[in-house]
Amino acid sequence: MNVLCTTVGLIAIYLYVSFVSLVWDGLDRRLVARMQRRVGPPLLQPFYDFLKLVSKESIIPRDSNKMFEASPILALAASITLLAYTPIGFGPILATKGDVLVFIYLLALIAFIRVIGAVSSGSPYAQIGAQREVIMLASREAPMMLGLFAILWRLAKLDVEKPFSLETLYQHNIWEIGTPLTIVGSLVLLIVFVFWLASEIEVGYFNIPEAETEVAEGPMAEYSGRHLALFKLSNSLKEYASASLVVAMFFPWGLSQYLGIRGIEAMLVDLVFHTIKVFVILFVSMSLFRAITGRLRVTQAVNLFWSRILPASIIGAILLAIDILGVIG
Amino acid sequence: MNSRIEYWVKIPIGPIHPALEEPEKFIITLDGERIIHVDIKLGYNLRGLEWIAMRRNYIQLLYLVERICGICSFSHNHTYTRAVEEMAGIEVPERAEYIRAIIGELERIHSHLLNLGVVGHAIGYDTVLHLSWLARERVMDILEAIGGNRVNYAMNTIGGVRRDIEEKHKRMILDMIRYYREEVMPKVEEIFLYDPTVEARLRDAGVIPKRIALEYSAQGPTARGSGIKKDVRYNEQLGVYPELGIKPITPKEFTGVIKGDVFDRMVVRVGELWQSMEIIEKAFDQMPEGKIKTFSKDNVVLTKLKRAEGAGIGRYEAPRGETIHYIRANPGTDTPAKWKAREPTFPNLFAVARALVGEQLADVPVAIASIDPCLSCTDRVAIIDSKTGKKKVLTEKDLLKASIEKTKEINPNIKAKPEPVGGICGGVRL
Repeated sequence: MNVLCTTVGLIAIYLYVSFVSLVWDGLDRRLVARMQRRVGPPLLQPFYDFLKLVSKESIIPRDSNKMFEASPILALAASITLLAYTPIGFGPILATKGDVLVFIYLLALIAFIRVIGAVSSGSPYAQIGAQREVIMLASREAPMMLGLFAILWRLAKLDVEKPFSLETLYQHNIWEIGTPLTIVGSLVLLIVFVFWLASEIEVGYFNIPEAETEVAEGPMAEYSGRHLALFKLSNSLKEYASASLVVAMFFPWGLSQYLGIRGIEAMLVDLVFHTIKVFVILFVSMSLFRAITGRLRVTQAVNLFWSRILPASIIGAILLAIDILGVIG
Repeated sequence: MNSRIEYWVKIPIGPIHPALEEPEKFIITLDGERIIHVDIKLGYNLRGLEWIAMRRNYIQLLYLVERICGICSFSHNHTYTRAVEEMAGIEVPERAEYIRAIIGELERIHSHLLNLGVVGHAIGYDTVLHLSWLARERVMDILEAIGGNRVNYAMNTIGGVRRDIEEKHKRMILDMIRYYREEVMPKVEEIFLYDPTVEARLRDAGVIPKRIALEYSAQGPTARGSGIKKDVRYNEQLGVYPELGIKPITPKEFTGVIKGDVFDRMVVRVGELWQSMEIIEKAFDQMPEGKIKTFSKDNVVLTKLKRAEGAGIGRYEAPRGETIHYIRANPGTDTPAKWKAREPTFPNLFAVARALVGEQLADVPVAIASIDPCLSCTDRVAIIDSKTGKKKVLTEKDLLKASIEKTKEINPNIKAKPEPVGGICGGVRL
C-alpha cells in the first residue's frame, strides 16, 4: 500500500513539476523579453517546442555510439529520480536518513550523463562543450556542498532526528536560531547559492558549456527531435529541483500551518506556495542574471568560483561553525 | 612533441555557424581551449559581381555597387562615384559633397550601433543586442525618410546626389542627434567603457598589436584600435571632410591606453559615434545653397562617360575601413572595361586570424565580430570541397566555365565569352 502511494505520488509530482517548470521557462522568456524591450514568445511556447520536437525525426550522427541515444533517456530518468529526493514544500517523498547525499549525486549525475551523451556524439563542438561542462561541474560543487553541509550541521545541533535528511530543513530553519553570526553566515551562503543556482542552470556568466555563439549549443549540438525534447524536459526538471533546494534551505516556510489545514490539502497548498517561491528565486538567479550579464570565458568562470565564491562559502561556513562551537561568547 | 599533437582538435567555425552573420569558414586547431592555428576559407558568398559589372553601363553599375552589401550600401556607392568622377574629371557641386558627408555619417552611426549589438550577442549579452538595435531604428527611420528605403537609399549619382536634404529632414536629423546624445550615448558608454562583464570579456581578447596591424594592412576601427592614425577622410583630405574637422579616433582619447584588443576597437566605434554626430551638425552649419548635381539627366552623364579615357580610383572610409574602387574606361562605350572593389574586411580578417593564435576558443566569435566582417563584400574566389571528402580546388578555367553555364541558365540572352586572364586574388578575374 505504501509503495503504491509513493509511486502515485511520484508520478503526480513528476507531472506537476514538468508542467510548472515548462510554464516557468515560458514566463522566463517573456520576462527577459520585457527587460530587453521585446514582446517575447507566448507563455506556452516551451510546450509547443516540446510537442514539436517530440513529433520530429531524430537524426543520429554516423560517428555516434549507443550512449548517444541512451543518454537522453538516462538523463530524464535521473531527473525524475531527483524529484523523489527534492524538498517541494514538504520533505522529499523518498526521504531517508541521508537523502541530501542522493540529491547531490543525482544532480551531478544529470550533468555527467549530458557529458557522456555529448562525447558519444562524435561532434567536436559537443566535445568542447563536454569539457567545459566537466570543468564547471568540478568548480561549482565545492562551494555548494560546503554551504549545504554547514547549514545542515548548524541545524543538527537543534536536536533533529535525521541530520542528513532534507526533511530537517522543514523542521527547523536557519533564521529561527537568531544569533547574529548565523544570520550573517546564512546571508553570505544565500549569495553563494544564488551564484551556484545560476551556474547549475547555466545562464548569464555561466552559459559556458552551451555557449550558442561559440560552440553552437555545446553538448546539445548533435541532438534533435525526440532526444532533444527529453533533454530539454530533463533540464527544466533539474532547474526546478535545484531552485527547490535553495528555497528549502533559506525560505522553507509553508502556508498550511497558518491557514490551519492538514493532510493532503496542506500538501497541495504548500506545493503551490513553494512553486511561487521557486519562481521568485529563479527570477533573480535566472531571468535577471541572464538579462544583465554576458558570458565569461571558462577560465574566468573557474577563477570566479575558486577565488570568490568558494572563499565566500568558507567564510559563511566558518561563521556558522563559530556559532556552533561557541568560540566567541 | 609529437605526442602533444594527439590532443589537438580541429574545429570548423562555419560556413554556417551561430556566431557568423555570413558564410565563411575558420578552421581552428585547438589544444584544449587554446588556439594553435587559424585557417580561413573564403568564397561561400561569391556572386561574380565583377563579371556582372562588365555588362552594365555606368549608371546601372550604381545600383549593382549599392547592392554589394546591405550595411555599407552608401559607402560602396560613394566610392564608386568618386572613382568614375576622377576617371572622367567631373566636378561635384559643394552642396552635394556636404550631403554625401551627412548621409555617410548617418550610415556610420547605424553601422556602428549594429556592430555594438553584434559584439554584445557574441559574448552572450543579448540585452545589449536588443537595446542597441532598438536605438538603431531611429537612424534607420531617418534614412528611410530621406532616401525612401531603409537599406539601399540610392543617394549618389555620378556628379552629385539624387535627392536634396530639405528643411524637414534637417529638423528630423537634429532631433535624432539630440535623442542619441541624451539617451543612447550615455548608456552605450556605460556598457562599453565601464561594464564589468564587457570589460572582462573584451579586454585582452583578440589583441592585434600595432606591428601586425601595419603588416597585415588592417583598416578602419581595427587599425585605429591598434593605435594607427589611419582614416582616409583625414589622410587623403577627402572632399569637404577637412573643413568638417575630421580627425582619426584612437582609444587613447577615451581610456588613455592603446592595447589593440577588442575593447579598444569598440571604444573607437563609440568615439566615432560621437564624431559622426559632430560632423553632421557642422555640415549643416556650413552647407551652402546651390546645385546638387552637375548633370540634370542620366543620359548626359553616359554621353560624357563614353568619351572618357583612362582609369580612376575612388577611396572612402566606410564604417569598417577604407574602401577602394578602381575603374578603367572602355572608350567609345558606356560600360567600364574593368571595375574592381577592394573592401576593408579582407585584410582585417587575416589580421584578426593572426591575432587569435594563442588565445581561447571563447574569444573567436567576439574577435571576429569586432572587425565587423562584411563577407558579401569580400568574396572573390571559390574553393570547393566535394562531397566525397576529396578536396578539389577549382582552377580559374573551371570557375569561369561554371559561371558562364550558370549565367546562361539564368539569362540566355548574354552572349559574351570571357576569357581567363589571370591576375590577383588567386588568379581568378570574376
